[in-house]
Amino acid sequence: MSRFSELLLSAVLLCGSPGAAEAAGHFPNLGRAATPDEVKAWDIDVRPDFKGLPPGSGTVAHGADVWEAKCASCHGTFGESNEVFTPLVGGTTKEDIETGRVGAYIRGDAPQRTTLMKVATVSTLWDYINRAMPWNAPKSLTHDEVYAVLAYILNLGDIVPADFTLSDKNIADVQKRLPNRNGMTTKHGLWDIKGKPDTKNVACMKNCTSHVTLASSLPEYARDAHGDLAEQNRKVGAVRGQHTGGDGDAVATVNPGVALMKSQGCSGCHGIGNGIVGPAFRDVAKRYKNDKDAESRLVGHVKNGSGGNWGDIAMPAQTQVSDADVTALIRWILSGSPEN
Amino acid sequence: MAGPMRIRAASNGTETEVKVLMSHEMETGQRKDPSGALIPAHHITELTATHNGRVVLSGQFGPAVSKNPYLQFRFKGGAKGDKVTVSWVDNKGDKRSDEVVVS
Repeated sequence: MSRFSELLLSAVLLCGSPGAAEAAGHFPNLGRAATPDEVKAWDIDVRPDFKGLPPGSGTVAHGADVWEAKCASCHGTFGESNEVFTPLVGGTTKEDIETGRVGAYIRGDAPQRTTLMKVATVSTLWDYINRAMPWNAPKSLTHDEVYAVLAYILNLGDIVPADFTLSDKNIADVQKRLPNRNGMTTKHGLWDIKGKPDTKNVACMKNCTSHVTLASSLPEYARDAHGDLAEQNRKVGAVRGQHTGGDGDAVATVNPGVALMKSQGCSGCHGIGNGIVGPAFRDVAKRYKNDKDAESRLVGHVKNGSGGNWGDIAMPAQTQVSDADVTALIRWILSGSPEN
Repeated sequence: MAGPMRIRAASNGTETEVKVLMSHEMETGQRKDPSGALIPAHHITELTATHNGRVVLSGQFGPAVSKNPYLQFRFKGGAKGDKVTVSWVDNKGDKRSDEVVVS
């Protein structure tokens, strides 16, 4: 971390007051130097050594009130909710507070990793609440409210007592009681260029692997935890991502034509009701509604490519799609592209 | 000994909503430890909630209830400043009672 922050620091120093004046000289008519107040408003980070932490204080009781009003709807009254986000509180014990390592985290026997099990620096919690919470109105909490809410969370985790007042004066003492304070490691590639990297890529010029084998996949029970992943991928280009919706009703009622169309990557250029690069499927069906030869001709267009019928962009030949699939797709399109 | 319950009670004028997070192992008595021996059952059996001394909820808990149970209920009446008490007894005879002021 130190190397990175030193770099960052020197970069910040370079852009400091002499640099700012210089920048205006280098780039005339391009913006202006940020005023000290603007820099102050932007520079809100709080570091593990509490550099950048504004003075203030808040009680657990006040935090409970703020929590109930602004936080509980997503995180649950006691930070236990798993509805919108993973739980904030739970899984830590008195022993963890003593040792600074979370036993349940090391053993892996907790049903879920909570924030208090994972976080190693209390400054991170302060910074994140101040920066990003509440979700719908970030930065709307006053500094004292951030202290209060943090005190409430820490109290839920039995890290501070119920009558505690958290302030910039005693937050360093709280850091010494954080359950996972000794759990952070920096001897790996993410932090240290000489550390063990997170990935292993062996460069090769001969005897290279010719095909990729998947080493791991989402476990069955977790596949649809975040909805259908394929649907959440970008719509431009070939559709990526696995369908993870499981065997639920919504998935079962999807027309096989839709599934085939998506799996063959048609939706990269064609929409069902809207044109993208190529025409909408329903516009195609409309144009060829009374054309008996349309099916065989369109099958040819897909297989061999075609151009000039709908616009300037030609359709490339789709030789990778089997004859049966092409015919099925064209029939689906000409039948009006039913979605279910 | 189990830790304190966390209780929040809020009145909207006509009803009071109470949320309780209990701290209890709630061991079912059907799990085995790594050596294969049964872990003895240890769970809450009775739960009572009172409002200024009047019982507003009483329940029988069993092994089907999760560890560190969360309970939420509403009762008619209750005003700011009233006292709500939640207490439980477990199958080993342990007791716990915690009180909160309605907000």
